Amino acid sequence: MEQVRKLLDKISVEQIKIELLNTAYGNADTLLARLDPRTLFIWYLFFGIAPWFIHQEPVLLGMFVFMVITTVMSRISPLIIAILCMGLLSQAGYMLVASWFFGGNWDTIMPLAVLTLKLSVISLASVTAFCAMDPEKLSDGLLKIGAPAKVSFGIAYGYRMLPNLLDEYHHIFLSFRLRGKAPEKHGILYWRSVIYFVKIAVLSFYPLLLSMAKRARTTVEALETKGFSYAGYDAEVRRIKLAHLRMQGRDYLFLAISALYVVLLFSLT
Amino acid sequence: MDEQQAVIRINDLTFTYPGAEEPALRNVSLSIDKGDFVAIIGGNGSAKSTLCKTMNGLIPHFYTGDYAGEVTIAGLRTGEHSVSELSRHVGYVYQDFENQLVRPTVLDDASFVPLNYGMRDYKERGMQALAMVGLDASPREFIWQLSGGQKHLLALAGAVSLGPDILIVDEPIAQLDPCHAREIYELLQRFNEQHGMTIIVIEHHTEFVADYCKHVVLMAGGRLVWKKPVHEALNQVGELLRHDVFPPQVTQAAHRMHGSHGKLPVTLEEAELYFSPVEGKAPAAGDVLAVPELIRRDQPVVTAEAASFSYKTVERGKKPVLREVTLSFYPGEQVALVGNNGAGKSSLLRLITGVTKPESGSVHVKGIDTLRTSPESLADLVTYIYQNPEDMFIEDSIRKDVEFFLKARKVENYQEKVDRILASFNLTGLQERDGRLLSGGQQRRASLAIGVAMDPSIILLDEPTASLDIATRKDIVSMLTEVRRHVDTVIIATHDMQLVAEWASRIIVMHEGQVIHDGTRESVFGDPYLLAQAGLTAPQIVELSRRMGMQPLCYTVEEFAARCRAGQEEGVAVNGAGAQAIG
Repeated sequence: MEQVRKLLDKISVEQIKIELLNTAYGNADTLLARLDPRTLFIWYLFFGIAPWFIHQEPVLLGMFVFMVITTVMSRISPLIIAILCMGLLSQAGYMLVASWFFGGNWDTIMPLAVLTLKLSVISLASVTAFCAMDPEKLSDGLLKIGAPAKVSFGIAYGYRMLPNLLDEYHHIFLSFRLRGKAPEKHGILYWRSVIYFVKIAVLSFYPLLLSMAKRARTTVEALETKGFSYAGYDAEVRRIKLAHLRMQGRDYLFLAISALYVVLLFSLT
Repeated sequence: MDEQQAVIRINDLTFTYPGAEEPALRNVSLSIDKGDFVAIIGGNGSAKSTLCKTMNGLIPHFYTGDYAGEVTIAGLRTGEHSVSELSRHVGYVYQDFENQLVRPTVLDDASFVPLNYGMRDYKERGMQALAMVGLDASPREFIWQLSGGQKHLLALAGAVSLGPDILIVDEPIAQLDPCHAREIYELLQRFNEQHGMTIIVIEHHTEFVADYCKHVVLMAGGRLVWKKPVHEALNQVGELLRHDVFPPQVTQAAHRMHGSHGKLPVTLEEAELYFSPVEGKAPAAGDVLAVPELIRRDQPVVTAEAASFSYKTVERGKKPVLREVTLSFYPGEQVALVGNNGAGKSSLLRLITGVTKPESGSVHVKGIDTLRTSPESLADLVTYIYQNPEDMFIEDSIRKDVEFFLKARKVENYQEKVDRILASFNLTGLQERDGRLLSGGQQRRASLAIGVAMDPSIILLDEPTASLDIATRKDIVSMLTEVRRHVDTVIIATHDMQLVAEWASRIIVMHEGQVIHDGTRESVFGDPYLLAQAGLTAPQIVELSRRMGMQPLCYTVEEFAARCRAGQEEGVAVNGAGAQAIG
């Protein structure tokens, strides 16, 4: 009981907020984070798509090892890793278990294991790429490769608002708790309490939407007065804003090492 | 000459918001000279903000309603120029300034405007703006790590980053403690004097208007009543009160004693000259203290024993906000928690509700350890009223919000009780409305009603009087008296020193997470060192009576006037020259 309570204390809204922000902004000093966003785009384009078309298990395994290394290098928050593992296990793992139960043999399990491996490579590549770019870098990178200014601004703004959203959500959630009534008995496996919490977690979204809509009015007006729509991000503003992006030696080196590694994997099999 | 000097010229402006039946502004004509420092005053809903939004073109470009008349800003007709063009001349800081910060880091936000206008040196301009407002945070700091006061300075930096001719600030000090409030006004004054900016503020606190502004514009029901020089304006005591504006306390006191004869003082310094020292020597009137004495015979209702609490920061560190606080609260007390922003007042209140648990030490509510109890069960004893009433509206009508607690507990005949509470808080007519769409004052009333419906024995209020006009504020203060009848103990965290002086039976001063004083208004307001340490300012009338050497101090305008009058009746000659001593 005491353990359950302690665990519940750990997964507070506050904690989730901190983990999310850390994932987004907290890794600015890692080696990968110093790369140009375009480098990461190219890198991700390969490792995010190529695994679908590769069928040699040793190559996939080698790529998986590489992804684990980059993931460790980019110091990803444990929460994200945990969510990722849960996702992978439930997505592919249950098929594996199911096929075992229903008389499948090694022949049916093997392809499923390969699928899981592919998914792992892709997921880890995504996590690495997006943790190495903070939202600012991502939005600058997108702007550089020609995305509309509003998309690029939207990404940066979305993250800037994230802590506010979570705070507001937390307040509303607490309002429900401060006026509501929790079930008196927890029930077997805490089911009554779980249902109670899930219910208010969902209900809290409705007031959140309304109050955020109200806040957005000021923001939209402020954007107008800050000349954002006026700039419309014409070529000149775009150029000034992105002047700091530059492909450097380490970018080329990183791409070269990755390419070399993949070539090596193929030549070994 | 006069033509050139006017930087804002509004000519017979009438404006109706799209979809509204009544015009928000009616036949407003106004001209403001370059270099002026203008306060716009008026009750809640008198269209002060609407008027300001016509000055940077948001009206009519952004809000396209019915628009008649003409507005000229720095020689540009607002109808013919876009909001962006006009914004080069007009900086605007909103009341909910947090929502106008749109970039993740400090420097990003401060340099966002120059960047949008395609200025190569946008970063330097951002840094310059930060230096101008004196923001003491790293330029790389994330917005959400800043305190409320720092965010406000950043919003100001963004507004002045292009060096505008005009700066409009909507309620600059509504959420600040008295010391930070003064710093903001000093800053605006510097902009005005050194950079030649024309400053326009929307303000309820006339003490600040008297100290810093040059002209005052009074608005009522969408009409401009008058624009007068500040001294003359604040002397219209009767008229101001009719329009829900409190003149400075010293002006009210002088008005009470001498009516509108001669010039009334509007600042503390003037008041010192106005009231002769003789008046101050008056003896204390019998029982002016309406505040109940401390009652400590009973068992405490809340005890905190060496309770500490800290927040986790994004860098996985901890920021202590309460350090070993030991306190007890007793039945019958009206407690005010005071201290500057970030002193730990709200954190202490939240510990009592049980939504946060002490890191070390303990908090007991009526003998129940909050560490072992859920907030839901503590809710039977404790009610917490949020600083922002909107956080309390979890249903889509006021009635449903008020009955939420009762319904969840399946209280019998709760409908009757809800009817009664709605009536006593004057909400019967509004019960079907969504709380978020009510005015500021109505929202406060509704949040109090929600609290009282929970029938608690302890009620905790966070800043119940922030940014209210006088009519609403009076309303809320009398509601507090009403609330007191329903509960054992009321604890309020507040910056409103007038409320503290008039209402609290016990004052707890907090500073950097610790209790540095636990006493009464006599011990708090009589101790200038304590006030300075905690960053507090005594209400004007208290300070005046202190400077005049009155013993004991006066805490309300009524008391001050009564004691002065008593002094006169005892045959002490009033210094007749007093009334002419200023001017």
